[in-house]
Amino acid sequence: MKRALSLVFILGLAVLLLYVVGNMPSMGDPQNPTASHVSPHYLERGVEETGSENAVTSVIINYRGYDTMGEVTVIFCALAGVLAVLGREKKGRIYAYTDHSKVRSSPIVRTFLIFLVPFIIMFSVYTILHGELAPGGGFQGGAVIGASMIIFTTIFGLWEASKSIPQKLRIPLEGTAVMAFFVVGVAGLIGGGSFLTFLMPRVTESLQPALVTWLTVIVEIGIGVGGAMIFTSILFSMIREEEEIVVQ
Amino acid sequence: MSFSNLFHNYHYIGAMILFCIGLYTVIMRRNIIKKIIGLNIMETSVFFFLISIGFLEGGLAPIHVEGVEASQMVNPLPQALILTGIVVAVSVTALALSMVILLYRQYGTLDVDNLMREEAEEEEETPQEKEGMGE
Repeated sequence: MKRALSLVFILGLAVLLLYVVGNMPSMGDPQNPTASHVSPHYLERGVEETGSENAVTSVIINYRGYDTMGEVTVIFCALAGVLAVLGREKKGRIYAYTDHSKVRSSPIVRTFLIFLVPFIIMFSVYTILHGELAPGGGFQGGAVIGASMIIFTTIFGLWEASKSIPQKLRIPLEGTAVMAFFVVGVAGLIGGGSFLTFLMPRVTESLQPALVTWLTVIVEIGIGVGGAMIFTSILFSMIREEEEIVVQ
Repeated sequence: MSFSNLFHNYHYIGAMILFCIGLYTVIMRRNIIKKIIGLNIMETSVFFFLISIGFLEGGLAPIHVEGVEASQMVNPLPQALILTGIVVAVSVTALALSMVILLYRQYGTLDVDNLMREEAEEEEETPQEKEGMGE
């Protein structure tokens, strides 16, 4: 009975949604309302106003900088929540199933991974630094580093992984994303503009493009490093097992 | 409601079907981890829908290179919003999974019905000791 009611509800919702979608403007039409209000401004004036060739980066970091600052705060709060629920991994207690598994990962996988991980990290550095010119940016690069840490941890176990990125290093770096935004925002205030402005009225015209580029790169690096460390810390605190669960 | 329009917007149809599949998973499955997977399917469908709204017929990536006019590019705004959305989705999933881990340690089961039953039994047996349940 409950099952049938749920099915009826979902089917009704599906019919309603399809009806709404059928009345929407046709997809990919240049006359769409979505393509006619604010996005032409972003596309036409973006380069001269923000100095970034990638329109997505200019929207994320310049036009909607406050949004992105809030987003960075959200992942920081997610880390804080995970740590409040599960606790950080502690010395002497960092055992996971992979460390005690009877089946060791094969030498082929281990050797291949040792070759692979530097390339993944190199790719993520490229993604972070090239974010204003090409597809990419801080979040994407940070996620790639986090993915490389997940692969490393599943193959080598938590003990090896937490030796390669020790906790002492991770704790200060987790706040880098929020800090980068704060530093750039205050720099805008000092330069005579408002909070989170990249164009500073007090700086001479000739220095302006270089300054905008460097501030963008600082924010991207901050987001990338901070995001990577937050993902790694969430993974480590999730994979940690209590001693009594571990099969010795 | 014009059917030709509906079939032209086939991306939207796919997103809506995906949304309903995710909602079905959230409602019908009893395993909490499967519920979280369903939530992620719903989030993905919303991302797909918004990205499709920004699509332009024959459009190019919104990156300024030589020979590409601004009018040829797709809308950059949904893409930026989806980046925000993906990060928020990851945060929600991480928090939910950490709570699931704690729940499993406490009760040893992930089945919603079993969890409700055990909690009801515990409340019946020891109503006064509920304060010390923390760990």
